Amino acid sequence: MSYYFTILSPTDVPLFNIAFGTSKSGGDGIARFRFPDAAQNTYMTQFIIHSSLDMLEEAQWMGGNMYLKHIDTYPPASAYISAFLTPSGTRFLLLHQPPQPNLPASGAAGAGGSIGSSTMSLSSSGMGGSGLFGGSGMGSSGRTSSSSIAANPTAPQTEEAVRQFMTEVYEGYVKTVMSPFYKRGMEIRSPVFRSKVSAAGRKWL
Amino acid sequence: MTSPGDAAPVKPPPSFSPGVPRVSSKTRYPERRDSSASLDPERVEPRIASPPTIPLSNTTDLPIRSGSPSARSVRSTTPQIGRTSLGSPLDGRADSALDTRSLIIRSFSPVVGVYSSPDTDELVRQKGFKGGFWELIRPFGENVPGKLVIRDSIGSSRGWEDYGVRFVDLGEICRAPNDPNQGRSSPLAQVEAVLAKQLDSTDGPPSGAIHPQDLVGLSSTSPLYKLYLRQLLSIASVSPHETFRHPVASVIAISSRNSAPLESLRQLYADTNNGQRKVPEWIHPEYLRYYVLVHDEDRDDITASTKLYDQMKRHFGLHCHLLRLRSNQCVVTDDDSVQVPECEWLSPSERLSERPEPLVDLDSDGLLYLFDSDVMAIKGFVRELIAQSVVPFMENRVAVWNDQVASRRRGISGRFMSMSRKWAGFGSSSRSSSGSGGASGNYNVSQGYYHYDHSEAILRKMADYAFMLRDWKLAASTYELLRSDYANDKAWKYHAGAYEMCAVSTLLNPLGAGSKIKVEAIDQMFDTACYSYLTRCSDAPTTLRCLTLAVELLRSRGGSAAESAAKWAMRAMDLGLVESVGQGLLSERISSCYASRPPPNGVRFGGRRRKAGMWSLFAADMWLRLGKPALASACLEEAERLYADVLGSDGVFPMPEMQTFVDNLRLSVKVGYLEARGLDIKEETGSTDPLDDEETSEKLDRRMNRRSLIGNLNPLDTATLAQLQTTRDGDSVPSDDFERA
Repeated sequence: MSYYFTILSPTDVPLFNIAFGTSKSGGDGIARFRFPDAAQNTYMTQFIIHSSLDMLEEAQWMGGNMYLKHIDTYPPASAYISAFLTPSGTRFLLLHQPPQPNLPASGAAGAGGSIGSSTMSLSSSGMGGSGLFGGSGMGSSGRTSSSSIAANPTAPQTEEAVRQFMTEVYEGYVKTVMSPFYKRGMEIRSPVFRSKVSAAGRKWL
Repeated sequence: MTSPGDAAPVKPPPSFSPGVPRVSSKTRYPERRDSSASLDPERVEPRIASPPTIPLSNTTDLPIRSGSPSARSVRSTTPQIGRTSLGSPLDGRADSALDTRSLIIRSFSPVVGVYSSPDTDELVRQKGFKGGFWELIRPFGENVPGKLVIRDSIGSSRGWEDYGVRFVDLGEICRAPNDPNQGRSSPLAQVEAVLAKQLDSTDGPPSGAIHPQDLVGLSSTSPLYKLYLRQLLSIASVSPHETFRHPVASVIAISSRNSAPLESLRQLYADTNNGQRKVPEWIHPEYLRYYVLVHDEDRDDITASTKLYDQMKRHFGLHCHLLRLRSNQCVVTDDDSVQVPECEWLSPSERLSERPEPLVDLDSDGLLYLFDSDVMAIKGFVRELIAQSVVPFMENRVAVWNDQVASRRRGISGRFMSMSRKWAGFGSSSRSSSGSGGASGNYNVSQGYYHYDHSEAILRKMADYAFMLRDWKLAASTYELLRSDYANDKAWKYHAGAYEMCAVSTLLNPLGAGSKIKVEAIDQMFDTACYSYLTRCSDAPTTLRCLTLAVELLRSRGGSAAESAAKWAMRAMDLGLVESVGQGLLSERISSCYASRPPPNGVRFGGRRRKAGMWSLFAADMWLRLGKPALASACLEEAERLYADVLGSDGVFPMPEMQTFVDNLRLSVKVGYLEARGLDIKEETGSTDPLDDEETSEKLDRRMNRRSLIGNLNPLDTATLAQLQTTRDGDSVPSDDFERA
C-alpha cells in the first residue's frame, strides 16, 4: 500500500505533501506507486487528488461529518481517495493504492520487502480472512487490526484506520496552525509537523 | 495572444517519443523564445510535401482551433465565461446524444439476405458493380426513404424516419461458421487499422478537405469516434448467440434475360432451403422469401416482363417486385447520373480492403454512378420490400411467438416449468422438448448452440425481432425471461448476450427515460455480460461492443449515469481491449462523459470539471505520443475550457507538478503542430529527411543522429538539448540547474 497525503487550502492550494508507504505487514514505509506509465509517477498522484476535488466538493455538503471516508476512486491505477474536512475548510486528502489489486495482499507485501518482524508474518499469512478477524481487535489495539488494511481499501477497518490517521494529523495541524509564525494559506514547512504526520502514518497505515 | 515574443519562459520540453520516459525537470531556463530558433530542433520535422509558404504570423497560433480567436496558454488563460456557457454544451450535447442513440439503434437493423441468379448478377456487372446485385442495392437499404410506421406489441404505432435494413449476401451467412477460423487478424486489430488509416488520410495533407480539428468536436461526438463506434458495432458476424445477423428475409432475384424464369426461381428457392444456401442449424430457416424480377430497360421488352411478373405474383403471392433497371453503365458525364451513396455499415475488414480500389482504376475515380431512374426504382423497391413485407412479417412473427411461446413462459405455469427445471430430478422428465444436448435442457453443449426450434432460441429471436422493431419494452422483458434459462444451461455466450441486450433495451426504452431507472441494476447487467463475454467466452470484440454500448447509452442518460458511463469506459481501457488510437478516443470519451455532467443548477460544486479536464489532458498526451499533434491540441484546448472554471483567474494549477506537465504538454503539442504544418524551423545541421509518414520512428532515428552528433551519451535528452540550446543562444544560464535535472 502506498500513500500520498495532501493538505489543500480552501482555494485548492496545496499546503503540505507527503508520500509514504505502509509500515505494516513488513512494509518499509516507502511509497511505490504503480501507474500505467512509469513516467507518470511525478504528476499522476496530483492529478488524481485534484480530480477528486470534484467529488469532495459534492460530498462536503452532504453530511455533517469531518471525516468523509472514501470519496473517490481512480480505476485505471486502482487509487482510492479518502478525505477529511477541517472546520476552516482546509481539506486533508489521502490517496492510497493497494499493492497489487489482482494478487492477494500477502504475496505483494512479501515482494515489497521482507524486513518485517516475526509478529507481522503471522498476520500476513492469514491475510485472506483479514476482513473477519481484523475487525474484532479494532477497539483494543489499532496496531494489530490496521496491519491488515492493505487487503481492501474500502473495508470498514481501513476506513477506521484512515480516520485515526486523519484525526491524529488534524491534531498536529491545529497545533501547527496556531503557531504565531504561521499565517493562513501559507505552506506548512514545520519539520515537527512532518515528522508527526509520518509517525501517524507509521502508526495507523 | 501568445505571440512568440511575449511568451512565458519556456521550460525544457519533455521527450515525448513513446519509449522514453517523460522527464519533467524542475529547472527553469530563462531563455527567451524570441524566434522560432529556440524551438527544439529535435522535434522539427520537415514536411517537404506540405507548402512551406505559410507565413509565420499565421502559423504561430495554429494549434488552437480556428473557432477561438486567440491562442491561449493554460498559464495565461482567463476564464471566458461567454465561451463556457455557449450554446454548444446544451443543444450540442442533446444533438449528439440523439445522434449516437440513432447510430446504435440503426446498427441493430434487420438483415436481408440477397440471392440472385447468375444472369441478374451478369446484368448488374455490366453496370459496373462487380459484386453483383447485392452490391447494387446494398447502399440503398441502409436508409429507407420516408417514414416507416411500425406497430408494437400493444398495438400502438410509431413512425421512424431512420429505419433501414442491411442487405447481405446470403452465401456469406451460410459460410459464417468457419469465419473465425480463417487466419485473419482479429477484428479489434482491424478496427484499429481502419482508424489509423482514417487518421493518416486526414492528417497527411494539413489543409485537406477534412480538417483534423473537426475530428475532435467540442462536446459533440467527434466524427472519428463515430467511425470507431460504427466499426465496433459492425464487427459482429453471424453467430448463434444473437440473431441480429440472421436473415429476416431474403431477396431472390432473377432477371428478364432468364430463359426459364419460373424454373430458376424455384431452383433458387430450393437452394435456400436445402441446397448450398441452406442456413446452419441454429438459424431459423423460415425467413421471408421475396422474389424480384429485374427488368432490363435497355434491351428487353417490358410487356414480356410484365407478363412474367403477373405469373410470378400468381405463383408466389404478394412478396414480389418488378425492378426496372437500365443495363448500360452510367458515367459521370451522363445527364441524370447520380453518385451511388457510400455504404455506412461496412465491417472493418471490408473497409480495409475496399480502399485501394480507387487507386487501381483512376479513370473511373472509383466512384460508381447510376441513372436517376435506376436510383428511384431501387429506392422504391427497397421501401416496398421493407414497409410492405419485412416489417409486417416481423410484426407478425413477434405476435405469434409472443402468443405461443413467451406467454406460456410468462404465465404461472411457465414460472413453474422453469422452476421445476432447476430441480432437474422431476423437471426434466416432464419437459416436452426433444432434449438434444446437455442434461439440463436443450442446449447443445458440444457445438454451443440451441437448435432453432427450441423455445430458448425462438424466444431470443422474438426478443431480437422486437428489438429491431424498436419495441424495447417487450424486448427487455423477454431478455429478462431468458437470462435465467441460459444461466441454467450454462450457455454462457447466450447468457452474456441476454444480459447485454436486456440492459441495452432497458436503456433505449424511452418510457424509462423520465422515471428514475436503477442505474445499479443496469450496471449489474453490464457487469455480468462483460464477465461472461470476456472471462467465460474470451470474446474480446463483443465485450468491447458491449462496453461501448454501455458507455454511450448511459452517457445519453446524463446525470449520475454519465459518471457510470465513464467508469465503463475506464473498464474497457483497463481490460486491455483497446489499442493506441482507441485509447485516445476513449480518453476523450471519458472526458466528455464527465463534462456532460453539469453542476446542479446554480451551484458551483457537483460538476465533474476537473475529472473531465484531466482526461482531456491525458487524451492530448496520448495523441501526442501517437504523433497526432492536431488532435492533441484540440484536446488540450478542450481541457483548458474545462479547467477554466475550477482554476483561479490566472489559470495556474495549484500543484507544481501538474503545472509542469501541462506546460510541457503544451509546448510539445505546439512544436509538434508546427512541424506537422511544415514550418521549417530547423536551420542547422539536421539531415532533411525525405517525407516520411512514420513519425515516431523518424523521431527515434533523429534522436540517434542527434546524440551521435553531440557525442554525448547523456540519457537525459532534455538536459543535453537544453545545453545545446543555451550554448547556441549564447545565453549565460547557471549550469547548476540542469545538471540536477
